[in-house]
Amino acid sequence: MGSLIRASRSRKQSNYLYILSESNTFNPILRRLNWLRSILSREFCSHPRQKDDNIADLSQYPTERIRNFSIIAHVDHGKSTLADRLLELTGTIKRGLGQPQYLDKLQVERERGITVKAQTATMFHRHNLGAPDVDNTQEAPSYLLNLIDTPGHVDFSYEVSRSLAACQGALLVVDAAQGVQAQTVANFYLAFESNLSIIPVINKIDQPTADPQRVKDQLMSMFDLDPADALLTSAKTGLGLEHVLPAVIERIPPPPGISTSNLRMLLLDSYYDEYKGVICHVAVVDGALRKGDKISSAATGQSYDVLDVGFMNPELKSTGMLFTGQVGYVVSGMRSTKEARIGDTLFLARSVVEPLPGFKPVQHMVFSGLYPADGSDFEALNSAIERLTCNDASVSVTKESSTALGLGFRCGFLGLLHMDVFHQRLEQEHGASIISTIPTVPYIFEFTDGSKMKVQNPAALTADAGKRVKKCWEPTVSATIIIPSEYVGAVITLCSDRRGEQLEYTFIDSQRVLLKYRLPLREIVVDFYNELKSITSGYASLDYEDADYQTSDLVKLDILLNGLPVDAMATIVHNLKAQRVGRELVDKLKKFIDRQMFEITIQAAIGSKIVARETISAMRKNVIAKCYGGDITRKKKLLEKQKEGKKRMKRVGSVDIPQEAFHELLKVG
Amino acid sequence: MLKSSLAPILSIIPMKPKYPVACLSLCKAFRPSSVRDNVSVNAVEPFEPPPKSYPTSAYIHLPFCRKRCRYCDFPIVALGSSSANLPDDIDDPRFLNYVQLLCREIEATKVLKSDNNSPLETVFFGGGTPSLVPPRLVSKILETLTSKFGVNSNAEISIEMDPGTFDAQKLSDLLNLGVNRVSLGVQAFQEELLKACGRAHSLKEVYEAIEIIGSCGASNWSLDLISSLPHQTSEMWKESLECAIKAEPTHVSVYDLQVEKGTKFGLLYKPGEFPLPDDTLSAEFYKMSSKTLCNTGYNHYEISSYCKKGYECQHNLTYWKNGYYHAFGLGSASHLDGVRFSRPRKMKEYASYVQNLEDGALIQHENGQKDAKDLEMDVVMLSLRTSKGLDLTSFRECFGSCLVLSLCKTFRPYIESGHVLLLDDKRRVLVIEEFWSVLSNESKIEEEVAFIRLSDPDGFLLSNELISIAFGVISP
Repeated sequence: MGSLIRASRSRKQSNYLYILSESNTFNPILRRLNWLRSILSREFCSHPRQKDDNIADLSQYPTERIRNFSIIAHVDHGKSTLADRLLELTGTIKRGLGQPQYLDKLQVERERGITVKAQTATMFHRHNLGAPDVDNTQEAPSYLLNLIDTPGHVDFSYEVSRSLAACQGALLVVDAAQGVQAQTVANFYLAFESNLSIIPVINKIDQPTADPQRVKDQLMSMFDLDPADALLTSAKTGLGLEHVLPAVIERIPPPPGISTSNLRMLLLDSYYDEYKGVICHVAVVDGALRKGDKISSAATGQSYDVLDVGFMNPELKSTGMLFTGQVGYVVSGMRSTKEARIGDTLFLARSVVEPLPGFKPVQHMVFSGLYPADGSDFEALNSAIERLTCNDASVSVTKESSTALGLGFRCGFLGLLHMDVFHQRLEQEHGASIISTIPTVPYIFEFTDGSKMKVQNPAALTADAGKRVKKCWEPTVSATIIIPSEYVGAVITLCSDRRGEQLEYTFIDSQRVLLKYRLPLREIVVDFYNELKSITSGYASLDYEDADYQTSDLVKLDILLNGLPVDAMATIVHNLKAQRVGRELVDKLKKFIDRQMFEITIQAAIGSKIVARETISAMRKNVIAKCYGGDITRKKKLLEKQKEGKKRMKRVGSVDIPQEAFHELLKVG
Repeated sequence: MLKSSLAPILSIIPMKPKYPVACLSLCKAFRPSSVRDNVSVNAVEPFEPPPKSYPTSAYIHLPFCRKRCRYCDFPIVALGSSSANLPDDIDDPRFLNYVQLLCREIEATKVLKSDNNSPLETVFFGGGTPSLVPPRLVSKILETLTSKFGVNSNAEISIEMDPGTFDAQKLSDLLNLGVNRVSLGVQAFQEELLKACGRAHSLKEVYEAIEIIGSCGASNWSLDLISSLPHQTSEMWKESLECAIKAEPTHVSVYDLQVEKGTKFGLLYKPGEFPLPDDTLSAEFYKMSSKTLCNTGYNHYEISSYCKKGYECQHNLTYWKNGYYHAFGLGSASHLDGVRFSRPRKMKEYASYVQNLEDGALIQHENGQKDAKDLEMDVVMLSLRTSKGLDLTSFRECFGSCLVLSLCKTFRPYIESGHVLLLDDKRRVLVIEEFWSVLSNESKIEEEVAFIRLSDPDGFLLSNELISIAFGVISP
């Protein structure tokens, strides 16, 4: 408290309010100020908010008066806006005060309109169960509603499944104009498999192109959802929103936990706060949790003291306890988010409980090398990655070194988007400038001596005499693609070009087709989605889930500059595509490497077989032969600029490679 | 062969160590107390006022031109055609006012240190088109210089002249004033190229100008050409070189067209793209000049300069030696006491600069602090432009031998490819085996390598690349 008072003194009131209105709530300092504000308002307001304090007494909410739900939707169908409206409707956030997409706190989430981290928000709403006509809501009992916001992307499907496991129902939001899309399908099945009550919400009905009837038909034919159950809303205008929360309370069952049992809680996600340390989002499944309890993790076996506990309203609100069926946060002595495994079961130390089902260790699907753009920045990159992984423990990081790029890291990601987001956060939040190597998927190689190896870095696959590759496997995914029927031909061509195997081909209504393909993960890692979007004028939607490993004819494709292999440019490709990929890589490099003092040969090779070759002829002339009347400063500046330009290049052997060349290689399929 | 072609330079340029002295003293003055102190301090004597670090060269900028050439980005004043109508004995007030201003600048310049004993040894009238200025005004400038600094009786006094701007009378007047070197801006021997450049003179006037120079007995003169002009072909360039040689100048400058931002060419053309010759062709032009001129008795003593034995432009040598020099006039750049300073490029601002100078409101060259790296870069950049190259003996004295070693190591691939040459103190080029053997033995480098130079033409052609690589060694 002492520090809080100091904080309040050190800021002028007006200044402090201004900062609040900026409402960057992710910033821990601001969050603290927010907390301060709530304390101040409680102490100094002329009308103490008696009601608020009553509501915050969580022991008043048995499971019958708790509903835990999630909102699931295809991207841009209005999930975040609907969440904002519900938070406003319940007075959790003030209308116009919060920033849009309130629960998406990262810059990258806002920019891309995606959710990367799970968030929870607790709301209170008065409702007369079974008597919706009774107007007197003052008398109606108050319900505790926990909205669990999940990431929407396939990369995070495990996180989604864990978040959904804490829910008993979900709002399935569908755009009234666009109808069911690939992610709608994927999310529906996730929710369906978790036995959730599903409330279809047809959103954006204010749009001129809205066709709710068609969407209802789709929901009926695809998911067997009763059209009468669908709510029609416009989160933008507020139309129909008043029916949403009553539906949540009436149609979604209360959490099934047993309050008299030993504590079991599900770890949903975690983030790192500079002041509090690791903060875990949890759902209490059975029993109750109190501040001061000692808890253990089923996954790691570690024990922790509960230092603080409370719920998100939507900012941290300490209550000292959480009861069965409630969702909130726990601050324990965890030192890093790596200790907080998503899907883990936390329980009282020294009690014996059955861990909750569904926990899986993180599985990395995409690997790439990360190197500082400027070789001397290794330490800076190291600390940036350390800080970022504090908040995103799902990235695996091991040091590696490359002859071409020097010291760096091999990072494992949940998927491509996850990798992209990680890169972007490194640059945006930590100011790091990086070179990434071509992403690779985890292959399995079996050698003639019987040994097997999981290859996460193509460079690790060295030609070793007496140890030849006998067999190899690559990971595949099962992809769902939904497209207007006129694009079927183009999409089938694309998929077969990417070595896909068709599993399903169905019309979901008169104009839309659902295709299911089994595709090698490697083929969709690079540029598949962009290609799909471009051949379908943006109408295609895609979702995929991990499938099995399949045997494949894989080769390592080396890139050689002046005869020397560049380890950071090696990639593993299917034998049949090696020639084409090699040609593309060589062409890209030729385009992005400038003429230098000597001729440069660029080759792509499989073993000793050259599959593509280009040369960049030597620079002819680079001279300033001009009379300057003694004014040499401009010339010197030019040469210094030229020198700086060289510094930004990566030198491999005798060849200077600009960073863009590495970036461009990432785009070669 | 190389030795014999270089010997003249060595014998003609008296080895008055201009830059070594200058940089030695500068280097002592602000040598940072760094690692280098441990390297070769023994060579450096305790600090004493340097005997001759004062300037003995002066550049005078005369900015007037009839019109602006289409490639030109120098600070000039285009006159248009109006000046032709004035009677002979009345000077265009624009000339008069400018020369007055210029002389005020000279007079207001503070004389540094013991300059009283150091008359100027080179004066260079550059432009613009200095030959447009009436000789009596040139005379006034020379008088002002003489009374301010003194001008050595055998000083080199150069003037840039454009064909069509002077007659025999004008030239003899100038020669009588003491001007003894002419730099004639011919640029091309093809009418269509002269037009394309926006030159104010015709080909006929070029021949007339050459004729006048011969008849007036100006024995030390330079013919200036520009290569890589738009639509220029190999045949044209060959012809230009042949015509130049036929005119028998003692000096030839060959400038390679630089397309500068803000010029007409900058708007119209992109370097290396049609109608400009591509890099390969323009490199061909450069090689052709080097070969043709060297075969007819010219020494390629600097990237863009060729001369007959003993006819180096002494004034320009001051630049390449990183020496000090005065500069007066619009936009001109001086190098005094370790400071490079450019005057305003706009007339109004230049006038108020001169006013402030007179009022003492400007403290000249106050900020003499320049770090050693900057000085090293200047020395490397300028000396590598010359065929003499970087004199390692004095460079080591100033900056320590460890820099020389890393320079040799970094240059290794370019030494092996012949772009960079190492020479011993007798100016003999080390063969590659010798280079390898000295590279493995650090003290041997000091013993056996006295100069680093860029080869002609391959090294010169890539000089920017090579110098910026050297910059990377100096300031990583």
